[in-house]
Amino acid sequence: MGEIKKVRTACRNCHGGCGVIAHVKDGKVIKVEGDPDSPLSHGTLCSKGLAVTQMAYHPDRILYPMQKVDHNWQRISWDKALDIVADKFRAVVEAYGAESIVIGQGTGRDYESHLYRFANLLGTPNVLTAGHMCYVSRVGATLITCGNLPVADWSGEPRCIVMWACNPQWTNPDEHKGVDFWRAYQKGAKLIVIDPRRGFLAKKADLWLQLRPGTDAALALGFLNVIIEEELYDKAFAEDYINGWDDFKARVKEYPLDRVAHITWVRKELIQKAARMYASGKPAALQWGVPTEQTLNCTDCTRLLTGLMALTGNLDAPGGNAFFVPPPVRTVSQFSRHRDLPNEQRHKQLGGRQYPLASRVALITPKVAWDAILTGKPYPLKAGLLCGTNPVITRANANEAYTALSKLDFLAVIDFFMTPTAELADIFLPAGTWLEQNHVADNWKRHGYILARQKVVEIGECWQDHKIFMELGKRMGQQWWDTVEDSLDYLLEPAGLTWEQFKEKGYLKGEQIYYKYREKGFSTPTGKVELYSTILEKWGRDPLPKYTEIPESPVSRPDLAARYPYILNPGLRIPTFFHSANRMLPWLREIRPDPIVEIHPETAAEHGIDDGDWVYIESPRGRIRQRAKLTNGIDPRVVVAEHGWWYPEIKDPGHGWDTSNVNILTDNSHESMDPVMGATNLRALLCSIAPVEKH
Amino acid sequence: MANTSLVIFKKDCMGCHACEIACKQEHRLGIGPRLIRVIENAPDYIPIYCHHCTKSPCLASCPVDAIVKDDRGIVLIDNQLCIGCKECLEACPFGAMQFDDEKQVAVKCDLCIERLKNGEQPACVKACATQCIFWGSTRELSARLDGVI
Repeated sequence: MGEIKKVRTACRNCHGGCGVIAHVKDGKVIKVEGDPDSPLSHGTLCSKGLAVTQMAYHPDRILYPMQKVDHNWQRISWDKALDIVADKFRAVVEAYGAESIVIGQGTGRDYESHLYRFANLLGTPNVLTAGHMCYVSRVGATLITCGNLPVADWSGEPRCIVMWACNPQWTNPDEHKGVDFWRAYQKGAKLIVIDPRRGFLAKKADLWLQLRPGTDAALALGFLNVIIEEELYDKAFAEDYINGWDDFKARVKEYPLDRVAHITWVRKELIQKAARMYASGKPAALQWGVPTEQTLNCTDCTRLLTGLMALTGNLDAPGGNAFFVPPPVRTVSQFSRHRDLPNEQRHKQLGGRQYPLASRVALITPKVAWDAILTGKPYPLKAGLLCGTNPVITRANANEAYTALSKLDFLAVIDFFMTPTAELADIFLPAGTWLEQNHVADNWKRHGYILARQKVVEIGECWQDHKIFMELGKRMGQQWWDTVEDSLDYLLEPAGLTWEQFKEKGYLKGEQIYYKYREKGFSTPTGKVELYSTILEKWGRDPLPKYTEIPESPVSRPDLAARYPYILNPGLRIPTFFHSANRMLPWLREIRPDPIVEIHPETAAEHGIDDGDWVYIESPRGRIRQRAKLTNGIDPRVVVAEHGWWYPEIKDPGHGWDTSNVNILTDNSHESMDPVMGATNLRALLCSIAPVEKH
Repeated sequence: MANTSLVIFKKDCMGCHACEIACKQEHRLGIGPRLIRVIENAPDYIPIYCHHCTKSPCLASCPVDAIVKDDRGIVLIDNQLCIGCKECLEACPFGAMQFDDEKQVAVKCDLCIERLKNGEQPACVKACATQCIFWGSTRELSARLDGVI
């Protein structure tokens, strides 16, 4: 029996960043704990991170490269697996062009630098991510508005906090963790919570605004209306630093509070109170979550929220929303060599003209990929490589995603488990978990930190994702490094550190400077905060943000609402799971064995539904079942369902992918998506409910 | 006799379940026994856990004296002595006593006694993101509950 060795690393069970001490005995991780010295998590760790040993050593985990032969998976060598992928890709490039290969990832798990480098050097502009409706959409919208993503600055001690459609203590807030928000809140900050559900934070809040799902942009216009009407804004800033101030004011005027109250279901007086509290509570930090991005108002909502931060003097202010300065290392963008994708290839990007903001941030919305596969237009997609993604569960209109992926000539996946998506593949490449990799973590985030995620163990023949892209790239004649660690040395070089040295340090923080615009202006074409966007104008789109009614709502489609009378919010998060992951981990599944749909008791009573009953949820796209949880914390007109469900314990290749999967219900028509970003609507559609027959 | 206990401030419990997994990991428990557990009734979350009661009903109910209070007041069960009769599960007013189906014995919170020996906090206390779990002397915990600390 060996000694217990403790290794400092960084979690990545979600997008990661929490500091971890892993306990290793006889070459096996026996326990993980939070690292008290972590500047982000301060020793805490969530249920997902704490369960990593059950993921890493799970009996169903795929530990070797696999090839599907006659519908059966067979173990093969890495050499053979990579040769097969490289040969197929080369054949597609020759016959159809590199653009006919789609490269995809899910939420982005700290390997985008390598994934994009592989795609760019291959020459395909078609990279499929979750970014069209999650985080990258926020980055894109703020890039064109104020030049960077403004991040809530908890350490700057905000006096007022707006938690807009976000629960950073349950789910991944990307930059700073829920624990820092909590510390700021406990110092006595006022709390405004905007959420259709009465959750933990709504209970804690000074003001809780229970809005109609999907109407966040209208509510933001309401806030702006109060702040402008009552002259609560920073006048000097507005005069000096807002592009199109008069036009913007005129647009906001189109949304008087009566109209906003009617759209959002939030009382006028409450909007006034909240807007005044935010505007007068300097410094005030606004943290916003993905629900604001997951409708066709995606870009406009982010632009309006940026307007709120700017006009109240909270942009790049301590305790407000800051542009954090990164440590001096090579950026993900530099490493990815975006500039080396030939223009000729860039112009072939699917949906590039239709969704110019998605194109600007180098991704495509899934719909255009499915269209290309299913119709061959504008050209066919023939092969794909998907890494850490389960689109048949997590992308809108799951049936279409499933059909499209089934029709690809060749698909390779990189994952831990045989997911319903992986089952559609020809080659399975087994990835290492975060315990099995060396990486400069968090480099893509905008909180000013990078972290050393260091390898603790090796398991089976699993390779870290980075190495898979690197070895495949080398086989295709691309320029890479000999080892992963060499590539990390390259990333770290500008900081004067090697990977070995960085590992010892644990993390690096950029030197923060606030109010950078006073010296340099904002990184936009006019140097100002472009509430009137010259870029959108150039693209021939509305340069001013607005609220567009959800195309499938009781307001826009009363005809459809007669049959599907409830607003379905299909984006309910679960603290123990990350999107479609973790359902196979016994500790976590014990806590949440079944998918939950929240229904108001009055609504449930009308349909004879009791707490705990299985319920059919139906939309114009299909029908699924989940288990009812009755709660009076939601509006009786709203139904809220959990996302990400499949059943790893069902052993047939579908793994119950269409039984409880909310994306069977969601829409991905072009009309339902954000017109510049291609964000799909995962937050507000119409549904009916009925009890499942009891036997 | 000194008394040591665990207190979870319900008002700050946000139902993330990190304490449960930290506990499972520390005690190497599989599916079944949950020495600490949070019941969800959003926006309220109700933690179920051992209070290490001064007059412990579980201890009093045990027919074979497998449950003892150590000199600090931590209520412990000796798995070797336990006969699996489940009297303690009935006796506990909180539902904190658990049963390990595999080993056919009762199991309970030991306040991570091995960690305490090393000067560490119980695993649940350490993992909690809102820091709403406290352990210590009942006197200190009472002061905390009264808002003195």
